[in-house]
Amino acid sequence: MRVVILPEREVREVPAGTVADLLRRLGLHLDAHLVVRGEDILTSDVRLAEEDEVEVYPVISGGA
Amino acid sequence: MRCHRCHAPANVEIRRSRIAFCARCYPDWFRAQVQERIDHDRMFRRDQRVLVAVSGGKDSLALWHTLMRLGYRADGLYVRLGIGEYSRRSQAKAEGFANRHGLLLHQVDLEADHGFVVPDLVEARSGKPCAACGTVKRYHFNKVAAELGYDVVATGHNLDDEAATLFGNLVHWNGEYLARQLPVLESTHPGFVRKVKPLYRLSERETAAYALVERIDYILEECPMAKGAKSLAYKDMLNCLEEQQPGAKYRFLVGFLKQGRSVLPAAAPEAADVRRCSRCGQPTTAELCAYCRMADRGRRKHETKDRKYGRTPVGP
Ligand code: SF4
Ligand SMILES: [Zn+2]
Ligand SMILES: [Zn+2]
Repeated sequence: MRVVILPEREVREVPAGTVADLLRRLGLHLDAHLVVRGEDILTSDVRLAEEDEVEVYPVISGGA
Repeated sequence: MRCHRCHAPANVEIRRSRIAFCARCYPDWFRAQVQERIDHDRMFRRDQRVLVAVSGGKDSLALWHTLMRLGYRADGLYVRLGIGEYSRRSQAKAEGFANRHGLLLHQVDLEADHGFVVPDLVEARSGKPCAACGTVKRYHFNKVAAELGYDVVATGHNLDDEAATLFGNLVHWNGEYLARQLPVLESTHPGFVRKVKPLYRLSERETAAYALVERIDYILEECPMAKGAKSLAYKDMLNCLEEQQPGAKYRFLVGFLKQGRSVLPAAAPEAADVRRCSRCGQPTTAELCAYCRMADRGRRKHETKDRKYGRTPVGP
């Protein structure tokens, strides 16, 4: 399935699974990202299909 | 997962409490959390005027939005730091938000009003201007609040920010900073306005989810200077731990505030000889305050650059 990682909109192809699987495969922390399909934020247990496309929003900001 | 309140399919999970909410119920939960903190920690009352430190990022805009929806009298202040494209874009987000909601946004322009920009303040040792940038922001938030008669300055610091700061202060055993790490900093001098952090128990993910659900248009990109910041390394470590132990960040911070602080020596009392800076009038213990000395360095650097690139220097 297709994953778009913000803010650079980097595109990755990963095998479909749950939202938690997806972040694990991408090596991203659960508590540092939001996974969005269409308009909806998804909880970590949601099972995604091959034809789904999701966006991953990083939520961590740094500095100061 | 189902919504804790209405049992519709959930969108946002709060892993540390093992609950989740749908997109319709989530903002109410979020605002109720903020309201509870404001009341419980006696941050401010409804008849007081709040100045929100606005950066254009998710935290400050989520905070401003929440205070507006809770019915507080909250205006914003944006400081134009002069960090290239990042500053231009974040300013546009702050202004766009204020316009959309009919809110008052004050602005300070470092370059036009003070003759320097944050990149002029890069420290030779760290290669970063972040420590100085922090001083610049705190100075202007306080000064504008004091001059315009605001009762309190509210910042968007979230649980992840505060836990990362605590972690850093423990790693380096900064006793003095530990003693001052509080969600409410009382005023110790008429020239210092109270500071509060209403989001300090809400995680960065929860704040971002609020911004997305409420369709707040915030700047997603990072400040280019943040790359390699220590705070990011601390946040990453804490999120590793959080993955294994949901709620670890919350217990770390809240446990410190409730129990850890009591074993620390009390914060050093404000020096008795606080007076007014001879140039800007802000409270200080020296003839010239730390900001004015730093601004002098910044202006000298800025003028050198101007000569090098053939621009006309901006006056102080
Ligand atoms: S990352 Fe550093 S320079 Fe950039 S806004 Fe934050 S404190 Fe200022
Ligand atoms: Zn619901
Ligand atoms: Zn001064």
